[in-house]
Amino acid sequence: MKRYETIFITHPELSEEDHAELEKKLRSTVATGKGDIIKLEDWGAKKLGYEIHKNSRGRYFLLDYLAAADLVRELERNLRLNDRILKFQTVKIDERTPSDAPKNSKEAPPAEKIAKISESPIPPEGSRTEDREKAKTEGGEGK
Amino acid sequence: MTPPVRKKRSFQRRKVCVFCADSGMKIDYKDVKTLSHFVTERGKILPRRISGNCAKHQRKITIAIKRARNIALLPFTILSS
Repeated sequence: MKRYETIFITHPELSEEDHAELEKKLRSTVATGKGDIIKLEDWGAKKLGYEIHKNSRGRYFLLDYLAAADLVRELERNLRLNDRILKFQTVKIDERTPSDAPKNSKEAPPAEKIAKISESPIPPEGSRTEDREKAKTEGGEGK
Repeated sequence: MTPPVRKKRSFQRRKVCVFCADSGMKIDYKDVKTLSHFVTERGKILPRRISGNCAKHQRKITIAIKRARNIALLPFTILSS
């Protein structure tokens, strides 16, 4: 089993019941495929980078799970058939990346990996913008 | 004809890859805030000579930006208004 994460975007005007139903279906699909859901995150409605089927907003979900290749295929097939899903993307999580996560948990590898992933979406702010500004000016001078 | 001599030879500050400088920083396609530092206002990927990234991290940034674009976290292009 490998670890994957699938991001999918649902229609922004879908009701909570629809989402509950969708979640139930996803969970049952993963359960039948002998997969293991690590987490399902709801990012809420966000503005899309570009319009998808004339929608400029969409509700993002992140599904993080352990699965065999067959299950991923089945899950993607389901998402593709569902017309409430605007778009989805599955990425295999690379385990070769060195982990800076504190290894204080004695649990199996998945628990450790959760820590690694949950840290990452919070971007460090502040000095970054300066760095880029600096880089820009330097690039200009170099010509 | 002599080529015009540049008055001030602009000193080159050594560009350091921000990801090498700060090893705690991760490149993640879901992290739009960090990625947005490496695209232009038009949504194009900034070249290495401007961003100062090392080859390894530039490669990762490029992949992350393309993934983020695919899932509409980042735009492919931004039309000028």
